[in-house]
Order: sequence, then C-alpha cells, then structure tokens
Amino acid sequence: MKTGFSVFLAAFLAFGASWYGLVYGPLQQLGGAQQTVVLQSADNWPPQRTGEATLGLQVYRKYGCAACHTEQVRQTGAANELALTSLGVQKAADFKDFMKSVMIVPALLNASNTIIGNLDKWNGDLPVTLYSGDDSIVVSTLADKLKPVGVKTEALVVARGADIARGWGTRQSVAADYLYDEPVPLGNLRAGPDLTTIGVREPDPNWQWQHLYAPRSVVPDSTMPAFRFLFEVRKKIGGQSAPDALALKPEFAPAADLEVVPKAEARQLVAYLMSLKANAPLYEAPFTPVTAAKK
Amino acid sequence: MSDENKTCGNASNAEPTVTRSAAPMWIIVVTLGLLFTGGLYLDSHGGWFDAKVYAPYHSADQLEAFQPRSGAAAQAAQGKRVYEAVCGICHGMDGAGKPGQAPPLAGSEWVTTKGVNRLVHIPLQGLSGTLVVEGKEWNLNMAAMGVALPDSDLAAVLTYLRTSWGNKAGEVTADDVKKIRDALGGHPQPANSEQLKAMPE
Repeated sequence: MKTGFSVFLAAFLAFGASWYGLVYGPLQQLGGAQQTVVLQSADNWPPQRTGEATLGLQVYRKYGCAACHTEQVRQTGAANELALTSLGVQKAADFKDFMKSVMIVPALLNASNTIIGNLDKWNGDLPVTLYSGDDSIVVSTLADKLKPVGVKTEALVVARGADIARGWGTRQSVAADYLYDEPVPLGNLRAGPDLTTIGVREPDPNWQWQHLYAPRSVVPDSTMPAFRFLFEVRKKIGGQSAPDALALKPEFAPAADLEVVPKAEARQLVAYLMSLKANAPLYEAPFTPVTAAKK
Repeated sequence: MSDENKTCGNASNAEPTVTRSAAPMWIIVVTLGLLFTGGLYLDSHGGWFDAKVYAPYHSADQLEAFQPRSGAAAQAAQGKRVYEAVCGICHGMDGAGKPGQAPPLAGSEWVTTKGVNRLVHIPLQGLSGTLVVEGKEWNLNMAAMGVALPDSDLAAVLTYLRTSWGNKAGEVTADDVKKIRDALGGHPQPANSEQLKAMPE
C-alpha cells in the first residue's frame, strides 16, 4: 500500500488534534486549579466540605439525583449599573435638570439618551437605576460627578440570565465551584430545579429531610419521588420526640406515638445539599453582593 | 450497443490508478475564508484561552471592566488580607501583639492617633530602640515592612489597624502614604520613639 504512511499520518493528526484539544489543553488550563479568593473579602473559595457532606456527594450519586437535577447556572450577560439611593437635600426636579447639564461630559455622551430616558420614566421612588450597560467608565464618571452634589449613588455589577432571574443563583457556575467534587454532578436534565445554591435557598436541614421523606408535604406541586427508605419510623423514646425528628404536617405524619428520624445516608445527603452555596463573587464571575436589604 | 459493452468490459478489467490533480481554486478560497473568519471569531470571543474568562465575557479586558470596585467594604477586605499576610505573624491576627516579638496594635496609642503622620512613618521607616505601648516598655526592632507595599495596600492595612479590634480612628488614604513616602526618599533609617514623638501626629 503506497499511501500507508499518509493514512497513518492523517489518522495520527486527527486523533492527536482531538487529544490535544479535549485532554491536554484543558489540563494545562485548569489542571492546577486551587482555591481562589472571594472578591472583596479575605475568604477562600470554595470552602472545604465537611466529612459528612463529602460522603453526601456519593449518596447524591448513588440515588441518581443528577438524573433530574442540575448543578450549573447559566449566564447570558452582565451589566454595570449605577443606582441612585438617596437624594440628600436635593429635589427630584432640580436633580433632573442637573443631570441634563452633566450630560455634556465627553465620557457620558454616548450613554446620555439612555440616562435621560431612565430619568424621564422615573416616578420619584428610590432607589432608581440611572444607568445600566456595558461601560464601567460611564458609571465611575457619573458617580464622580454626583458625589459633590450630595446625592448618594451605588455602583453595582449585576449578572443576567434566565437561571439567575429564576432565583437559582446570583452568577454563573465556573470551574472553581467544582474543585472538591469527585465526580462533578453537573446533570443535564432539569426535571427538578437547579441545586447550585440550594444551601442558601433552603438552609433548614429539617425542611430538606421533610422534602426527601414526603416531597408534597413542603412543595405541593413537586414531582420528586419520596425517598422514605432513607428514614426510620420508630416509637418515640419515653414519649419525647428526638431533636432531629421530622416536623411533618399532620396528614403526612405517622401515628401520634411514632416519629420519623433520618438515617445516616439522609444526614449525609442533606449535609451535602447544605454545602451547595455557589453564590460568592469571584474574579471570573463578578457581581456586587447586595448586603443591605432593599426597601 | 456492442461497442458500448466492449468499452465497459475493458474499463472494469483495467487496474484502478491513483493520480494527483490540483484542488479547485474555489475550495482553496473558501477554506482560507473560513480559516480567516474563524481566526477573527476566536480573537474576539475566545479570551485567548484564559482560564478565568468564561462566556458571556469575551476577553480578559472585558472581564476586568465588570469587576466591582465599591469603596469601604473592598478596602477593609484588602486591608485584612494584607494584614494577615504581612503584619499578623508578629502582631497577632487579633492585633493583641506577642510578648518578645511585637507590641499590641489593638488599643495602642501609636495606632489611634488623631492624625496619620506618625503611624504612616512607622512601616515606611521601621523602628528601633525602646517604645512605650499602653504603659509597657518594648525594646525591639521592626523592619520597614511597608516599603515594599504599594500605596493603596499600605493605606488599606493602616486603615484596617485603625478601625479593627475596637480601634475607632479615621482612615488612611493612599495620598497620605504617597506624600510621606516621597518626603522620606530612598533609604530611610529606622526611627526611635523620640524621633516619632518629635513629629506632628
């Protein structure tokens, strides 16, 4: 076969290129990943899991939770925003006039129509978003111009996306979030909700146990199967409920002298769910955490 | 009919041969066009394979433009980070100091001065000789730990000292640090407590 060497070379290049692109390249890019720093804080990310939560990941895997739940939040965009939080001694009408006079600053010219449009729509409620867009220079210039006037503004970086709008997270998932996951339970079907931030959304372990024992007792429309075999129904010891007995609603609870307590696997699984809190701002997924409650 | 059959018969008997011919020009042009477009797309959307750049961000510069940089919280966090990396090993993570190593910073009259002049001089010059802190005499040397820090880091860490562990004094700005650093010049000698006391607060 005269073309034998060419065929070998072509096959070698084809497999070599895919090995390089799918194995070697990613390994070079992320293989040495370590804990990173949470933006504007001294904390590291991600936090190391407790032993029980580490076992819980294997329980999560064993019962196929990832078949119906994902752990990945998608983001389609981001915005630099400047919000007006307080007018100080200024009156709204004066402030609008002042804003129009500020718009001649070169850095603001391109954004002036947007900003004036936002002001015209403004009904006087605070806080109001003055600018929302790509340009961080507009935000910093406008904030500098408004500082001497005595009004208070707040610069925000906001992550946008359908998942974020549903309340499933404050930013997209990045590789750093999965540093301690083995395996990484990404999931690809959302028969149930995304669990990336379930430890923040439902921080009560007893709620989680009730949800595993009888999903419809806490979420009426849930389609999740009940995982009753993770729990033990036993006689109350000395007529007293155990501290971690499930606080079930009467129609889901067993007879009055019985109680439902989680077995080891339920504890581990819930410890793992409690550890899912991927809501810290990172360099690769920046946003401004909202600390004060909005009025 | 018979002629055609004859031709077919001859063709199937013949040994197939591999020949080379030039690729059509349009294939070359389309391939180059695709490569060029792909290169443009990669340049604008690929982030140059930076591990920190995820979609929807296109480049490291764009990601940088979306970093939040709001004032006080960011500075306090930066101050804590610098303190724990540089100062806390001797002065203690809780600012209580360590006997034989470094005097306390929590409640220290040298930290909670009205002005910031003396305080900024200490990390930029270093200290030698006896120093009375909270009524106790310390006889130690401190290297000029602040010389290698950028103005913003030193200002953040000094602000952290002045606002942590019950200390309630005003903030130190990067401009304060820059002025004093420029005035000190290249190789300042360690100060002693008399020299510090001679300075305005």
